[in-house]
Amino acid sequence: MALLEVKDLAIAVAINGRLVPVVRGISFEVEAGTTLGIVGESGCGKSLTSLAIMGLLEGSQVRITSGSIVFDGQDLLALPPERRRAVMGADMAMIFQEPMTSLNPVYRVGDQITESILQHRRISRAQARERAIELLRLVRIPDPEGRIDSFPHQLSGGMRQRVMIAMALACDPKLLIADEPTTALDVTVQARILDLMKELQAETGMAIMLISHDLGVIAETCDTVAVMYWGKIIETAPAAELFADMAHPYTRGLLASIPVTDREVDRLEAIPSRVPLIGETVTGCAFHPRCGRARPVCADIDPAAIAVSPSHSARCHFPGEDSA
Amino acid sequence: MSFLHSVRDIFRGRAMGTAGLIWLCVILFAALAAPWIAPFDPLDIDPVNRLTEPGWPHLFGTDHYGRDTFSRCIYGARMTMLIGLGSVAFALVTGGAVGMLSAYFTRLGNFLMRGIDVLMAFPALLLALVLMTLLERSVVNTIIVIGIVYATTTARILFGMTLKLKREVFIDAAVCSGAGHGSILFRHILPNLISPLLVQASFIFAFAQLQAAALDFLGLGLPPEVPSWGNMLSESRIYVTRAPWLLLYPGLLIILSVFSMNMVGDAMRDSMDPRFKDDIAGV
Amino acid sequence: MLAYTFKRLLALVPTLLAASVLVFLFVHLIPGDPAAVLLGDSATPEDVARLSREMGLDRPIYVQYFIWLGHALQGDFGTSVFFRTPVMDVIAGGAETSILLAVLTMIWIIILGIPIGVMSATRHGSWVDQLASGGAMLFASVPTFWLGLYLILIFAVWLGWFPSSGFPSIHEEGGLLNLRYLLLPSLTLAAPNAALIIRLVRASMLDVQREDHVRTARAKGLHPARVAIKHVFRNALISVAAAFGFTFAALISEAVVTETVFSLPGVGQLVVQSILRRDYPVIQGVILVIVCLYMVINLIVDLAYAWLDPRVSLK
Repeated sequence: MALLEVKDLAIAVAINGRLVPVVRGISFEVEAGTTLGIVGESGCGKSLTSLAIMGLLEGSQVRITSGSIVFDGQDLLALPPERRRAVMGADMAMIFQEPMTSLNPVYRVGDQITESILQHRRISRAQARERAIELLRLVRIPDPEGRIDSFPHQLSGGMRQRVMIAMALACDPKLLIADEPTTALDVTVQARILDLMKELQAETGMAIMLISHDLGVIAETCDTVAVMYWGKIIETAPAAELFADMAHPYTRGLLASIPVTDREVDRLEAIPSRVPLIGETVTGCAFHPRCGRARPVCADIDPAAIAVSPSHSARCHFPGEDSA
Repeated sequence: MSFLHSVRDIFRGRAMGTAGLIWLCVILFAALAAPWIAPFDPLDIDPVNRLTEPGWPHLFGTDHYGRDTFSRCIYGARMTMLIGLGSVAFALVTGGAVGMLSAYFTRLGNFLMRGIDVLMAFPALLLALVLMTLLERSVVNTIIVIGIVYATTTARILFGMTLKLKREVFIDAAVCSGAGHGSILFRHILPNLISPLLVQASFIFAFAQLQAAALDFLGLGLPPEVPSWGNMLSESRIYVTRAPWLLLYPGLLIILSVFSMNMVGDAMRDSMDPRFKDDIAGV
Repeated sequence: MLAYTFKRLLALVPTLLAASVLVFLFVHLIPGDPAAVLLGDSATPEDVARLSREMGLDRPIYVQYFIWLGHALQGDFGTSVFFRTPVMDVIAGGAETSILLAVLTMIWIIILGIPIGVMSATRHGSWVDQLASGGAMLFASVPTFWLGLYLILIFAVWLGWFPSSGFPSIHEEGGLLNLRYLLLPSLTLAAPNAALIIRLVRASMLDVQREDHVRTARAKGLHPARVAIKHVFRNALISVAAAFGFTFAALISEAVVTETVFSLPGVGQLVVQSILRRDYPVIQGVILVIVCLYMVINLIVDLAYAWLDPRVSLK
């Protein structure tokens, strides 16, 4: 059985008392020790999916309307709040997009890391501090004994993201959810953080669920990739297979819109038109208004997932065809 | 029409703000139509009917001179509006000018804003008390004194906002296209400050009511013969045990008016440009 | 921290000097011979002539100012016209009442304002929140003296639970029990200010609640109450502290009114009485003392702010 199994998850936002669907029934699995990448444009529902799995939607205008999330054999959505919190920050941890604002500015980083440890482990403060120093060393922060007493504002963005990772690793999670962990960082820092995550995965054997809008980041780190568009997974495959043979025109468009610097680019391709708005109703395939190879059927019938190979499927009536 | 539209946009879906606005319209109407709706002359003394309880024909009862409390409350609305609007106008014009000019002409500004700092070293009511000792008790002086007190906060707030605006690109653009100081101040900066100024105005109006009532109560505000809600409270305080209702109506009127003005201010602030939201000091 | 405090204290000096000029000029703005004004109506021509000499009224006004300031710096604001005793003694006589009133009021403000504000913010949108924030707005709109008069009427006159006015010192017979005289006044004074704190705590907690680091704290699996106190409230305190100087100014102003309503022998009532008695030396003295106090409070507020927010550097 997979470490994380998400089935038919649907999420809606309450706007003026009306529930507007944002995530429209997605299913995927993450095997222990592997990395799943979820890629898509902003607003496609990938961040909400990660927050739903983590259990951070409570108290907001967002509701899970159907589906199940089974983690390590437990149905998370059925757990009482207290047992749910016992999972959060322990077996499942999360890092966020904005390292600049994701740490509390008024506490020293050491205190913020030990807070997580003391929440889940019955150990003394001194032991927790030892563990925090060890964690800072683990995430390759120089001078961890000194840095542990720094305030967040005294650290650079890359350092703060390392602190966030250290905090997430505090209780040896089985799954680390990383929501755009490198988006707010410089390109060179980005690469180092991604390398660090890969190394830590090799050392600890945790699974990673990486959310990104950047196919480059995904290609570099993931074993399996799921591409989301307008609240649905429109293509999923092992990374190597996906990048070798993209079946969905949207995935191709995503790749084509990345500027590649090591070859001559005549023009930057962008996907034309726009994503349907949240709450807008679209008949047929949600991508058809923007699709270069859309045919009449695409406007009428929403395609089901079609297997391109045993491990590769796409929601497209004409998977793998080249655009005209 | 666009004015009515923006009023509608501000108050749509803000029930408390709307209720506040309606109450203020009632007060304004009472102030304007006082001679026609007040059943008695507010100054008519009737020694036979002293301290009568609320009933007919004296709806809110009579005070220690036998004057009709209901009529005095209606005439009191005039003072409320006069003091409120007067001190708001004074504070916004003088404080606004000082704040805007100080931020725009920095050298003059350093000097003026230090002066404002000194005035702000005096807690508001204390400043008002000191100024009132120098002046005779009169409506105009009360307006000026309360106006000065709130001119200081207005100046400081407008100073900050104008500094923010000065850094905006459109001001640079205006300077580059050769606009003079007057044109930049009045055509480019001032229009952007109108809505925060209105919000500030509603809060000053609310504070001014409380301040004026406190001055009246301490015997340092309006002349004692003027029928204001503050004076009515001040005069009847010694009868509080014998005629507690005398304090009830003017007090409730003050509370309702201040509350309404705060609600209107809140509604306006909520619908305001987020850049300036933190600058306005409400309750 | 110490160097910073010292620097800030030094920075207060110019403002304080300017304020003292205003307080000094105040007597000269009143029509008539300042010496006669200061001595009041019952003074003999000899007294007036003597004080004129002391004040140096024949000399240029700036010399007069420095003479006055020199005395004031030594705590000598002259003699009260009404009490015939040194102004400083008169002020000191009201200090006990005012300080005790301020302390009791602060306690009310904190035990009423903070828990209600926190509750209102954590249950944002619920009926508790609507009741609390509506009630806070209402109490912020009530004239202090009106509230005081009705509290006297209900709790002192009708129910007879508390004394209606005055305050014998806690050194007199009754000791600390005499504090019951200050119960209604402190509640009166606390009401509008606690209302202010409720609104302030609520608004800043709602702001902090939206910040990313709160999500991080929740992701650690912390109990919601712990998140609310340790992460949201703690950070909201920064902006609450920043606004506290403003509250204190309101407190001083309203203390003047409250002490008058309850006939408390404090500094606030002294201001009003002195104004009505035209006891100018006392007015000058009290005003200057209050201004100094207010500035020191503001400094403490700034220091507390810097202490609460590690991002603010004390340099």
